[in-house]
Amino acid sequence: MSTVWKKAFALLALVAIVATLAACAAPTPAAPVVQTKVVEQTKVVEKVVEKPVEKVVTATPAPKPGADAFIFGAQGEPVCLDPAIITDGISSRVTRQIFEGLVKFDKDTFNVVPQLAEKWDVSADGKTWTFTLRKGAKFHDGTEFNADAVLKNFDYWRNTKNPLHAAQEKAGQTFEYFKNQFWGFDDASIFAKIEAVDASTVRFTLKEPQGPFLNNLAMFMFVFWSPTALEKAGTNSCKQPVGTGAYKFVEWKANEQVTLEAFADYWDKPNVAKMKRVIIRNIPNNSARLLALATGEVHAMEGLEPRDVDAVKNDKRLKLLLRPANTTGYVAFNYKVKEFQDLKVRQAFAMAINKKPIIDKLYGGTGQVAWQFQPPAMWGYNKDLKDVTFDTAAAKKLLADAGFPNGISKVTFDGKEVPLDFWYMPVSRPYYPNPKDIGTAIAADWAKAGINVSLQTVDWSTYLDKRKKGELPLYMLGWTGDNGDPDNFVCYFFCLDAKDSPKPEEGFFADKEISDVLKKAAATVKQEDRAKLYQQAEKMIYDKTIRVFMGNNQPPLAFLAGVDGYIVNPTGSEYFNTVVVK
Amino acid sequence: MLRYVIKRVLTVIPVLLGVSLLVFGFIRMIPGDVATVMLGERATPENVARVREQLGLNKPVYEQYLIFIGNALRGDLGRSVLRQEPVTQELLRRFPATIELALSAILIALLVGIPAGIVSAIRRGSVFDAASMLLALTGVSMPVFWLGLMLIFLFSVVLHLLPTGGRLGASMEFTATTNFLLLDSLLQGNFHVFFQALRHLILPAVALGSIPMAIIARMTRSAMLEVLSADYIRTAHAKGLKERAVVINHALRNAWLPVITVVGLQVGRLLSGAILTETVFSWPGIGRWLVDAIYARDFPIVQGATLFIAIIFVGVNLLVDLLYAFVDPRIKFE
Repeated sequence: MSTVWKKAFALLALVAIVATLAACAAPTPAAPVVQTKVVEQTKVVEKVVEKPVEKVVTATPAPKPGADAFIFGAQGEPVCLDPAIITDGISSRVTRQIFEGLVKFDKDTFNVVPQLAEKWDVSADGKTWTFTLRKGAKFHDGTEFNADAVLKNFDYWRNTKNPLHAAQEKAGQTFEYFKNQFWGFDDASIFAKIEAVDASTVRFTLKEPQGPFLNNLAMFMFVFWSPTALEKAGTNSCKQPVGTGAYKFVEWKANEQVTLEAFADYWDKPNVAKMKRVIIRNIPNNSARLLALATGEVHAMEGLEPRDVDAVKNDKRLKLLLRPANTTGYVAFNYKVKEFQDLKVRQAFAMAINKKPIIDKLYGGTGQVAWQFQPPAMWGYNKDLKDVTFDTAAAKKLLADAGFPNGISKVTFDGKEVPLDFWYMPVSRPYYPNPKDIGTAIAADWAKAGINVSLQTVDWSTYLDKRKKGELPLYMLGWTGDNGDPDNFVCYFFCLDAKDSPKPEEGFFADKEISDVLKKAAATVKQEDRAKLYQQAEKMIYDKTIRVFMGNNQPPLAFLAGVDGYIVNPTGSEYFNTVVVK
Repeated sequence: MLRYVIKRVLTVIPVLLGVSLLVFGFIRMIPGDVATVMLGERATPENVARVREQLGLNKPVYEQYLIFIGNALRGDLGRSVLRQEPVTQELLRRFPATIELALSAILIALLVGIPAGIVSAIRRGSVFDAASMLLALTGVSMPVFWLGLMLIFLFSVVLHLLPTGGRLGASMEFTATTNFLLLDSLLQGNFHVFFQALRHLILPAVALGSIPMAIIARMTRSAMLEVLSADYIRTAHAKGLKERAVVINHALRNAWLPVITVVGLQVGRLLSGAILTETVFSWPGIGRWLVDAIYARDFPIVQGATLFIAIIFVGVNLLVDLLYAFVDPRIKFE
């Protein structure tokens, strides 16, 4: 054997060893993969040689992209398509098209209107809710929507002994929102009884009146599965969604796209899907997504960079829609910082920020200045409050009065004297589209009033973790509303637990007076009464400068000029059935 | 040689164990966990504690590691914490996309880089030499991310020649079997899909191949220059051999060695470069999958994918070492 052949043999042996190694470390199918590859390559050659011409002729012509489909460019990959389990906007954008609940948010408002329920009654004590269901609504698998389906879905969400609920939890899935909105599972939940009065009437008996009950029901996760399909899907429910919506699920290609198809038997005939298909594509990079829109590869997109808003506005081929604000960005004080326990110091921090230019320039023209927690569209918003006037000199004076004539650069945090760190988020969120620039601008304003902070950030997960533990002395964060109810905005942050202990995740906030007003509002059913209480709470938060509210953002969505009928909703839960691509 | 091969393969085992231990440790050392990321602004201590418990993150770390290694040896890399998918299966499903991209990139890099390097060396000091080396310098210095966006802008938005991203058009219906789209479409005789897949592959492959291309061109040039000044080249010329024969048979064969080393090293770079390229071009491969998992602190995916990449990297380096023996008969593995 010549040396060349020896070497060739050795190399072959090596390839075999590497392949075996891969098969050991990787799963069992690895070895066959290597083998089939070789076989298939041979096949390629055979096929091409055999009948190449014929194949070219018979190859199916690709449909013109978007000929019958509405293609939406999303920022990421859905986590799961079982609405009961998910918490993220990217997944819920898909499930919104497939599933429906008893009620929904009307068009571009927070108003709750009927969906699969035709009407409802509530008893005088606010504890008994009776819903009359729509007749003739069908699930995508052909089964009938009725009271039984409602009961089975509620059992899936609420009952930890329900076999599928238990199986999901065992597999690591959580029913996060059911627990949050309805106080817990089983007997801990707000429901005393859920019963079917007849095939098209469902009655909920609550243990206590819950102010946001209807708004909760309108959220994207409390929507109904076909019980038959759910049972069939089992713990694979993330991949096989079946509801009553205008579009039904076709396919989910991981990291690429989700395809939906118009549901021919949709109950709401005037609102049957206008396009044959909906394709939701995952394009993670914001600039690349805008370029895909510019070339017409997608028809609509979310996650527009603030700096690109003007370009979209000025481009005749494109158009821009602003979603009504449902977000508030704030600067939070940590009350373990001794200096922040003084109202004058907090007021000085608030007064020293010139909000208007920051919002105008750094929100891409889609922001509005805020001075209370709720955005203006919410009914708990207090119209009588006016923003504090920006005044550097007055801020300096307040600091001097509080005992800091030379300004503040060091603080006593948890008993130790440390430089004052101001934390900005590492990621863009709807309420702060540009956190680094906004943080820098705030710090620059403060510096003029003698407040010298050092800007800090860290990766998003760590940031959230530090915030949760109360380790950030002064930080930026915000909120996007879930259900259009003030409770979900204000109480979520400022309601204390039963022992009224300080909340580390809210900078050790512990104001019992505010908390009591908010808790009272949550247990009241009549909206007028509740509105007054939330307005009162907003005034208390404002007077005590608990936080500095910076801005509400109206998240921009960009479309091709030929896209019509897209209705923006402040909750971000938008239905695609009205959309037409021309 | 066989002994050498076996020895090398055996040294791979501690390397991989080390990698697994490091990855396992590091991802747990950084603060923040999957529960926090899942909950986002809603991450209160109670919520996080409950979700952690539900996700089974409460076991002692050493126990988690032993379970991980035990399962990994059997080919089971666990399940994604966030999505509950089996990591091994998902890894294999995404891997073809990355390999298709990486192979195309290295192919482009070789096809352009080597001839450019040779010609530059032969015509040292010429306009071609200066231009190609300037281009190579630009290639090395350009961030892949930026280059990708510029390519999309030029070829998709301005010239309307190529798509902006993805592996196939959104409306294309095609069932892949091996997930190597070029291969699958050929196997099924669907030339339309083949053509579309190729169109989608061009820009990301060029973006990803730019840096290796530049490095290979520079390496080939300097290796050739060194060889071209050697005595045996002068002898070859003196024997009256044609220029072509001198360059290809005598010079290039001796210049291979450093070039092969560089190509081997570039494979690692391709895998890390793929992370950025896959994000810009919405390419559904393992690079992007890994980055998403790191941000989400989805441990099983990070561990599994890193281990997998390490295996490939080690394997390629081993191959390169053995290739030396082919290229340079003076090298013996004893």
